[in-house]
Amino acid sequence: MSRVVGRHWAYVALTAALAIAAAVWAVPHVGDSGFFAWVAEPRPDGPPLPSLSPDLFLLPTSAQLVLLAVGIGLLVQIYSTAFLGHHPRYRSYALVIVLFLVAMLAVVGTTNLWVLLVGWEVMGLCSYLLIGHEWQSAEARAGAAKAFLMTRTADLGLVLAILVIGQTYGTYDILGAQVAAAAGTQNATAIGLLLLVAVIGKSAQFPLHSWLPDAMPGPTPITALIHAATMVAAGVYLAGRLFFLYADSTVVLTTMAVVAGITMLLGALMALVQTDLKRALAWSTVSQLALMLAAVAAGDPDAGISHLVSHGAFKALLFLGCGCLMAAVGSSALAAMGGLRASMPVTFWTMTIGFAALAGVVPTAGFFTKDSVLHAIDRATGRDGGLADGTAYGLLAVALVTAFLTAAYATRLWLTAFFGSAPEGHAKGEAPRAMIGPLVVLAAATFALSIGQPVHLGMGLLSTAIAAAGIGLVVLLWRRGSSLDLDVRPLTAELGLDRPFSRWIPAAVRGVSRTVVDLDDEALDAYPRAGTRLAAGTSRLLELAQSRNVQRYATLMTAGVLLLVVIGVSRA
Amino acid sequence: MPLLYPLVLASALFGIGLYGVLARRNAVLMLLGVELMLNAVNLNLVAFDAWFADALHSGQVLTLFTITIAAAEIGLGLAIVLALFRALRTVDVDEVGR
Repeated sequence: MSRVVGRHWAYVALTAALAIAAAVWAVPHVGDSGFFAWVAEPRPDGPPLPSLSPDLFLLPTSAQLVLLAVGIGLLVQIYSTAFLGHHPRYRSYALVIVLFLVAMLAVVGTTNLWVLLVGWEVMGLCSYLLIGHEWQSAEARAGAAKAFLMTRTADLGLVLAILVIGQTYGTYDILGAQVAAAAGTQNATAIGLLLLVAVIGKSAQFPLHSWLPDAMPGPTPITALIHAATMVAAGVYLAGRLFFLYADSTVVLTTMAVVAGITMLLGALMALVQTDLKRALAWSTVSQLALMLAAVAAGDPDAGISHLVSHGAFKALLFLGCGCLMAAVGSSALAAMGGLRASMPVTFWTMTIGFAALAGVVPTAGFFTKDSVLHAIDRATGRDGGLADGTAYGLLAVALVTAFLTAAYATRLWLTAFFGSAPEGHAKGEAPRAMIGPLVVLAAATFALSIGQPVHLGMGLLSTAIAAAGIGLVVLLWRRGSSLDLDVRPLTAELGLDRPFSRWIPAAVRGVSRTVVDLDDEALDAYPRAGTRLAAGTSRLLELAQSRNVQRYATLMTAGVLLLVVIGVSRA
Repeated sequence: MPLLYPLVLASALFGIGLYGVLARRNAVLMLLGVELMLNAVNLNLVAFDAWFADALHSGQVLTLFTITIAAAEIGLGLAIVLALFRALRTVDVDEVGR
């Protein structure tokens, strides 16, 4: 037993070493100024050939993301020793987490677009491996394949975008492109739309959002990692990091705003009707990511990234807390929970903080960063350019409705999980220390990250009022004895938005492959088949001559001689 | 006597001999076919010798050689057939070849 535990801590130590190295590297870069507005010194232009030189470089914002990634990665690793330590494949699981973090560092810490692409793809691979960790279950396999295929398809957008950037600016270096673009952007719409495709896939935005909720069969700590610090964060990071390339393209920004608007509302509505805590949190992530993209579309990528960081902290907290609840009741279904407040006090209080941050309650970091995002959108309404006319107003309205819905579903999840009557036969008590420790750290981070955040008074009051309305409404319904189960048919069926991916595309692919197989069997194989028949017929004919009968050979010879004689005589 | 008669006769003998060699399955009869062909050639040689009125009579001399060789050949051939028959109790070439 102690040897097993010791081996687990070896992986934690490995992650910790990585985290410390990354922290030593990143901490000096964390400042409060600069952000993405920073423009590099002109670099000597290298040849515009794809290179894989690391080109490490950190901006304050990316340094924050580095710290977030390794911090949450370390907490997840510690948490996993208790959550998944006795799993037979713990070793590969722990090592893939480390690889995942390295890939995320590659994405965030480089200015070389090709290295970024490699990290981006390795993350896709790692998420595939980790979502499919329980590959005995068909659901996990399907979820993993779906995540892989959907993000991979969207990744084509990134590859093409990198090629277009290279062609346009003559460099594959982000800083180089930044310098070149400072003199005037070109091909902004093409680059922006291609990048948007990649971001939509990676950050699970409409219409490629369905892989994220379907990734829930993966182990819960992994879900926390993917949702908070790595995979989906990379999409928003990329959108923010390369914002300067498409900042003046109305088409791109408007498209992004529309996508973000649809997704945030959709995700919040879905989260409201889920009967499964984990799936509800997944939809909540979809919605929150859309909020970050909305900030980018509104022209303030820094607000988006700061919300990404605070969301990373509290969403990791919520998922890890969800894991504690699952360990206690053996299921992530809301119906199996309830009344857990007394038996799991630490989980209850930390998750309360997490839900408060999700709902945007003062003074959690979630409130401040959401406030910044709303402020950015609000500012975009008063400006010319950027978004198309009226889009900003629409986006603001949608964002406020989403804030209301977010407060409502956060309260609903909180109430149904921790209050009310407990179902029979559960409540094993509080989770082990290795699991609640990370919760406490993340809860502290949720407050700590609010230090130094800007406050926008008007928007802050408005969003607080909206959040209070959402929370108040749900609490009122709960007091009146409602079960808070919203069984709205089209919503619980997730509006059938997944149907193209779960039914039509597979059906189409199957149909096409069947046609190809038939074509191969009937048309193409006819030629080789005819060839074999021809060869067999010819050999049968030739076989007739080879009778192994000497007399017949002699007869043929005689006939040949006679023929020659006849020819010779007739010629003469 | 015109040359045509012995030549027609020789051709007929050769054809019969050839037929015997090609169509017969009996080894003895095949040897007989070979003999017929040889003798057809002999007849040819003699006929042309007379026709050309050769002073050295080389055609007749050659015929004597042929007869000698034919005698040796038939002796050897019949010995083989006899050995074959002793071993296999048959002289059918198809049976032997199988």
